[in-house]
Amino acid sequence: MERVRVSIIGLGGIGKVHLHNALDLDNANLVAVADKSKKSRFLAAKLGVKKQYSDYGELLQDPEIDCVLICLPTFLHAEAAIEAVKQGKHVFVEKPLARNVEEGKRILAESSKNSVKTMIGYPLHFEPGFRGLKSQIDSGRFGDVVISCATNVSSGPFSHRASNSIPQPVPSWWLNKELAGGGALMDLGSHMINLLCWYFGSEIDSVDAVLGHRYNLDFEDYGLARIRFRTGTLGVVNFGWFSQTAELKVEILGTIDNKCVRKKSEGSFPTKIIQILKGGVVNKSSGLYNELKYFIDCIRYDLDPYPSVQQGLRDLEIISRAYRNQVQKKESSFGNCESSENK
Amino acid sequence: MATVSLVRTNSNYSNMKKAIQDSLDLIDFRFGEKTEKVAIKPNMCYYWDYSTGMTTDPKFVAAVVGIIRERLSQDVQISIVESDASAMKCRYAFKILGYEKMVKEKNVSLVNLTLDRKENVEVKVDNRSYGFEIPDTIRNSDLLLNIPKIKYMTGVKISCALKNIFGCNPYPKKFRYHPDLDRVIVALNKVMKSDLCIVDGIVVSGQYPTKLGLIMASKDPVAIDSMAAEIAGINPKHVRHVMLAQMEGIGKMACKNVGENLEYFTERFPRKNAKQEARETILSFGAAMLEKLHLIFSVI
Repeated sequence: MERVRVSIIGLGGIGKVHLHNALDLDNANLVAVADKSKKSRFLAAKLGVKKQYSDYGELLQDPEIDCVLICLPTFLHAEAAIEAVKQGKHVFVEKPLARNVEEGKRILAESSKNSVKTMIGYPLHFEPGFRGLKSQIDSGRFGDVVISCATNVSSGPFSHRASNSIPQPVPSWWLNKELAGGGALMDLGSHMINLLCWYFGSEIDSVDAVLGHRYNLDFEDYGLARIRFRTGTLGVVNFGWFSQTAELKVEILGTIDNKCVRKKSEGSFPTKIIQILKGGVVNKSSGLYNELKYFIDCIRYDLDPYPSVQQGLRDLEIISRAYRNQVQKKESSFGNCESSENK
Repeated sequence: MATVSLVRTNSNYSNMKKAIQDSLDLIDFRFGEKTEKVAIKPNMCYYWDYSTGMTTDPKFVAAVVGIIRERLSQDVQISIVESDASAMKCRYAFKILGYEKMVKEKNVSLVNLTLDRKENVEVKVDNRSYGFEIPDTIRNSDLLLNIPKIKYMTGVKISCALKNIFGCNPYPKKFRYHPDLDRVIVALNKVMKSDLCIVDGIVVSGQYPTKLGLIMASKDPVAIDSMAAEIAGINPKHVRHVMLAQMEGIGKMACKNVGENLEYFTERFPRKNAKQEARETILSFGAAMLEKLHLIFSVI
């Protein structure tokens, strides 16, 4: 079967990861990219991508492209995905699907009208540890799962303090509620909500959230969401941009057994060296690599990708409910510092 | 010989404020009666909050503001100043680091020096000429109050009072100064001289962040930096910008400390040993090489 002709819109951080991965895949030909940055287009050209567009609208008109990977800032997801679907392209959108439920519904409506494949980028589905956990939950290995805690904390859009590199500017859309659609719940919480729904089903009795504003932004930078699944499991999702040490894990507490699965850090210097020695910049065992490979295969073999736009929309609905059902807390004012900690 | 006070405290606001007052009394600091405008320069470094030891705690600055008002006048005009940097924008840093919230309650102003009106000045250091724009808020202030942190910094070894003034340079692309950082730090301190330095050493960033509970005060930024280097386990004579600052007449490295024993803090500072320093140098070199390898491997 012929290779799928792939294109990428947006060559920011995640776009560049997909760029390297797509070039390495044996089921795909990366034929085009679109990005406003000349430097990013130059990089793509240097890596052998034939066509570089500064306007993604032009890329979508290209008949020699089968599918697009949308790696744009969140506020551009809906516009780009709808346009791509209208042009008959298969679409892979980075999470979150869109800024809000309305935009998500528009994407779903448009993709339903056109017979194209759509998928949302949730790479944890393709991490061996989390995939294995799914099989074990389904097999009854833990009995009934009563509580499941999913944690995703990191420094978020901010550079790591001790990463031996110069701090990078934060693109302004990250810090704009209107453009990002939300804060750490959207950014990090969405991964864990999606994972728990994969484990325990989409039917949900109740959702609420406790949100925190450590960085005084217009949106949450840490918090937790509680999801009561119809199956009886209580899911707790912890998320935050506050930590210099990234932690991504799922804990299963069942009537028979318990288990905790952690994602291994990929960013450390020794890990990167091993990765390069093994086979260049591409990490073939990563979730990001394998989700792309899987999506391309879905196009080749006419399979329905998972997680699809429907799951992406469901996640947005859960997040929207969590925002609505916030457990209110009176914010402490700065004046309270007179009676603050460590007396 | 300059005097540097060392006081022990913790992050409780009342204790902190009392300790700052003590640190000023120990060096016999008196605010000038005619002081009407005060510019306070805390250390804001990217968007890392005070718990990392990289930035001045806004609570600490709030305590200093309270002391100024009590000791000087309620009407004194206080500005908290910082400038944009290569990766940090004041509009976000003021908010994220908690300064916006603090100034609202303390009735002081926040000034992004990059957006301030400026005047060009020329200055010579080590027989080299440098040109800078000096923001009006600094030029017109009667007192420049420097509130730095103590932290290790690649290239200049230690960052404290002298390095903190680097952030008063309104030019945002500060990375361009890094190859000549020692001289540029000294040049900026010649044109924007700190009248008083109070170090927020409550959390310090050494090998790892540590609650050291230190407050240090002096009128001499060179003396402060010299003592900060000692606390961090670095011979001050090996810190080029400190030596250069002394040669250029900004202050004196020789100083006497009053208050707490220096040993209390030198023993507790999370020092880097030679092995760790070598490891970090290799890692940062490695990280830079990796970036290049990344591209080479991709092209291959």
